[in-house]
Amino acid sequence: MAAAEGPDSLRARSEGGLGGASRTPHVDVDAIAREAREAVAAASTAAALEAVRVKYLGRQGALTQLLRSLGTLSAEERPLVGAAANEAKRELEALLDQRLAVAQDAERTRARAAARPDLTLPGRRPPLGIVHPLKRVEDEIIEVFAGLGFSVVEGPEIETDYNNFEALNFPKDHPARDMQDTFFVPGELLLRTHTSPVQIRTMQAQRPPVRVIVPGRVYRRDIADASHSPVFHQVEGLAVDRDISMGDLKGTLELFARELFGPRSKIRFRPSFFPFTEPSAEVDVLCFLCVGDGCRLCKQSGWLEILGSGMVHPNVLRNVGYDPEEVTGWAFGMGVERIAMLRYGVDDLRLFFDNDLRFLRQFA
Amino acid sequence: MKIPYRWIREFVDLQITAEQARDTLVNAGVEVAGVTSTAPDVKGVVVGEIEAIERELGESHGHTLVLCRVSTGSKRFSVICGAPNTAPGLRAAFAPPGAVLPGNRAIGAATIRGVTSEGMLCSERELGVGEEHEAGVLALEPDAPLGADLVSHLGLDDVVLEIEITPNRPDCLSVFGVARELSALTGTPLRAPKLVLPEPEEDVHALARVRIEAPDLCHRFTARVMTGVKIGPSPAWMAARLRAVGLRPISNVVDVTNYVMWEIGHPLHAFDYDTVAGEGSGLASPPTIVVRRAREGERMKTLDGQTRALDPSMLLIADPARGIGIAGVMGGADTEVKADTTRVLLESAYFLPASIRRTSRTLGLKTDAAYRFERGADIEALLDGSTRAAQLIGELAGGRIARGVIDVYPTKHTPPRVRLRMSRVKRVLGIAPPPETATSILAGLGLPTQRRGDELDVEVPSFRRDVTQEDDLVEEIIRVWGYDRIPSTLPGGAISLVRLPATRRQDRVVRTALVGAGLAEAVTYSFTDPRRVALLRSPDDKPPIELLNPMSEEGSLLRQHPLDGLLGAVATNVRRRQPNARLFEIATIFSWRAPGAPQAPQQAGRGGATAGPSADTSTSERRWLAIAVTGARGDAAWYRGEEPVDVYDAKGLAEHALAALGVRVRGQAGGRLAGFEPDTHGVLLTDDGAAVAEFGEVAAPVRGAFGIDAPVFAAAIDLDAVAALPRPAVRYEALPRFPAVQRDMAFVAGADRPVAAAEVEAALRAEAGPLLRDVTLFDVFRFPDGRRSLAWRLTFQAADRTLTDEEVNAIHARVAAAITQRFGLLLRTG
Repeated sequence: MAAAEGPDSLRARSEGGLGGASRTPHVDVDAIAREAREAVAAASTAAALEAVRVKYLGRQGALTQLLRSLGTLSAEERPLVGAAANEAKRELEALLDQRLAVAQDAERTRARAAARPDLTLPGRRPPLGIVHPLKRVEDEIIEVFAGLGFSVVEGPEIETDYNNFEALNFPKDHPARDMQDTFFVPGELLLRTHTSPVQIRTMQAQRPPVRVIVPGRVYRRDIADASHSPVFHQVEGLAVDRDISMGDLKGTLELFARELFGPRSKIRFRPSFFPFTEPSAEVDVLCFLCVGDGCRLCKQSGWLEILGSGMVHPNVLRNVGYDPEEVTGWAFGMGVERIAMLRYGVDDLRLFFDNDLRFLRQFA
Repeated sequence: MKIPYRWIREFVDLQITAEQARDTLVNAGVEVAGVTSTAPDVKGVVVGEIEAIERELGESHGHTLVLCRVSTGSKRFSVICGAPNTAPGLRAAFAPPGAVLPGNRAIGAATIRGVTSEGMLCSERELGVGEEHEAGVLALEPDAPLGADLVSHLGLDDVVLEIEITPNRPDCLSVFGVARELSALTGTPLRAPKLVLPEPEEDVHALARVRIEAPDLCHRFTARVMTGVKIGPSPAWMAARLRAVGLRPISNVVDVTNYVMWEIGHPLHAFDYDTVAGEGSGLASPPTIVVRRAREGERMKTLDGQTRALDPSMLLIADPARGIGIAGVMGGADTEVKADTTRVLLESAYFLPASIRRTSRTLGLKTDAAYRFERGADIEALLDGSTRAAQLIGELAGGRIARGVIDVYPTKHTPPRVRLRMSRVKRVLGIAPPPETATSILAGLGLPTQRRGDELDVEVPSFRRDVTQEDDLVEEIIRVWGYDRIPSTLPGGAISLVRLPATRRQDRVVRTALVGAGLAEAVTYSFTDPRRVALLRSPDDKPPIELLNPMSEEGSLLRQHPLDGLLGAVATNVRRRQPNARLFEIATIFSWRAPGAPQAPQQAGRGGATAGPSADTSTSERRWLAIAVTGARGDAAWYRGEEPVDVYDAKGLAEHALAALGVRVRGQAGGRLAGFEPDTHGVLLTDDGAAVAEFGEVAAPVRGAFGIDAPVFAAAIDLDAVAALPRPAVRYEALPRFPAVQRDMAFVAGADRPVAAAEVEAALRAEAGPLLRDVTLFDVFRFPDGRRSLAWRLTFQAADRTLTDEEVNAIHARVAAAITQRFGLLLRTG
């Protein structure tokens, strides 16, 4: 590009490029090139290199001026000097680029090193929220049964005596009522002592088959201590169908125990008494801490009591207008606090209701 | 209930340990809480006899010290004793040198007042077998074998099973009942107590009469009479046994009734025969028992010295003159067996369980007798109890038993029969034993069974009133056959859609949003106290729901304000030096549906199983989301200072939760909930003007009452109201194709001209017209002189073209002019 444009005033001749001997009186391409190389060599910073570029290749730079003055040379000299100058310019540019890259790199490295972050400083964290451990366990329980085809239903906490007791085969003036010490509310109402009245509500509202899971808050007149609370949470399950047996209850609860307490979990049924089931069973899960050997958690028994269950009492089915000859069913109920205590090794139930952030954060 | 194992073995020859017996019972549904030893912590204590009292040694601490010569048969000891009951010939508990008393108290020879005492005569308390101490040394019967080990002599080298009987099994509320159960479970024969009475001449029917006037409440009443009774202490073995089961020995006759109740399970009552009146006056008729309802206003003094107000729902044991006992609950004070009693009338009866329970609860009088009667006594076994007691009174109190028994039994109990299909067993359990196995299990339990092919015909004895229908027998069979045999299967049946209530989905959305925003979820009690309610109640609130039987004043009401529980949780954290608390709770609050007195609910519940107000009660339950923040927004960190929270945290969190629920709201001052500072209290309204949430600063007196020093900002969202809002369907809108233009606009409001930012912004929107796409209030500050600067960023965009500067400038100028003029603001420039 440059050969034809050189200013005439320059007289330059070259015989072998930049390194060749010069015989021009005004300008010696070789001299300029040498000088430029020395300048590059002397420049140690990007800024100095940039200055060298300006001095030789800038608008007023020595080489630029030389090329601009090619027109003043003779027709014979012009291509020779032009070629030499262009060659010198290319070489200088390449040299500068290379040295500049090195210098810039070194400078960036130095600059970054100076500003290097202390990566051990804590990150800018958004605050961590916490789902209450009782809600978390409740959700886990529900999830297992939802996976087994149980729909979730809920019911009110203030209940009638009929729904809470009578329909569930707790006759009036029967000592079975002592099993659940009750808070009474004016208007012959009470705070439900279990989630079981929702069984009654559900069966009254629909025909079989029924397969529901009922989470909720329940109330008993127990003084709050490490293992009692006047307010606590239950999850209840109910399945009623044409042919449903205690074996199905056992299989379902076995599956549940494995989901909640691990694949090696085992359960055991023990006879028990609940007015609304017959036969009734207390269900123990193999102690997950000692796996049955006996430890402090299971009080050396190897088993942990986790829930009550049984076949829905025929009287209960009759009370909701189901025919016990036509359908059978089972129900179970567990305390969420109890499961959470076992799960997390919490030794005092009251901690769940204190809401001390130091406690809650452990479940974040 | 405590049952000594050795006592059980008097009725069944069990070849298993007490621990094995426990496991056997537990596996069959009889809960055993523990097996504990009854042996006191003593060694070497024996039966000794005070042969002589050699001399007095003077007073010490109000007692006369005497030097006794004590023999253990093979050896003699000189023993100093200060007990009031020492007497020559008395056999008593003696700890010779070398014996060890509770607390590792080694007994040796000691010198007291210059006299050597070899060993010690011991009281109950010193031996750790009872409380008695003041009465003196533990006296034994005159024929107690000298030198015998005291612990084994008293039968205290035994274990006690602590049995927890479920309400359906009153038949196990006795030693004999548990023995019967263990006999069935182990196949070991049961040995009923041998009951033989002498048959003297005197006929009981000449000595007493019984009349039942309330046969609906008293189904059977029997009476025996014993004469020539000598009241005194019970023998040591009986006293020790009673103490081992937790009963206090009183006197031989009373102790016998308690002993028999524990042994046979039937509560008995002994009257002082001579205090029971007859019909008419004088000697016209023998003492007469009338079993009747109490009269209105009738009063009676019970054994415990309390005068009881009775009513006609209560069954009374009376003589023709007055009440002498509350049937099945407690005897009367006037007819109590006392030290000078010589003739005893012994009651053994059966009362309607529900009636006893009602009476016991109405009077607040819980007794061992009522506990058994309300669960159901054995109407056929009550004579056994009476006979056994008569036999023991004869033996221990020297009584002569009148011949025969008065037995008024208007309607004889006929054992019901229950049919059991083996197919039903299989259907209920998923498995069934062979019919012969079922038959023998039932027979073992004392339920005679006849088999007809696949059906069993079962006779239910009087002690198993809990067995009334087929499935009860299914349980009897499987609890003996073994729950382990129940197979593990999964239910079949049709697959149906799994549904989640809308309330629960809503909870989940809110919880996710707030937990994501860094809040911790709290769960608090539903109870509250009247002082809190007074602080958190607005004048137009319905009356709070009061519990009829709260456990304390602090928990006597149901919460009515959504922040009631959460402020308590904030207080707990602040008190425990965690000043930065950001909490939320999904809380149900309660109130009467209508003001004034509650209405009685319908008998049976109807309607769907959904949360929220229930159709069959007069109460309302509403779900609210409560949010409370206090202290700093976050803990101090190297990248941030500790900025205190303010009302906009509470408002913003409420807006955030509502946005997650798909509800857009605007705020304005005001609100209905109590508990906020009036000048820092706002509501959030939907576009339709429905108030769905409130927020603000918790009023200083309120947080002060909770014990919180620092400001607390709170919000509450009425979740049920939000759930009821129509939810517009999501519709996609095309993304803008032409660039947006932004302009900032700042106004200054004079200190004397306060403006509401929301009003200015609304005007700004209206004025700007359809090309305004977005408005953000991005800067607010107050000058030292009180003027306030508000700066908005306006984003303009057209759907069909690129806007020109001229167009936007024109709108900008128009808006600025309109706003400055309307609100009296200055436009800030530069």
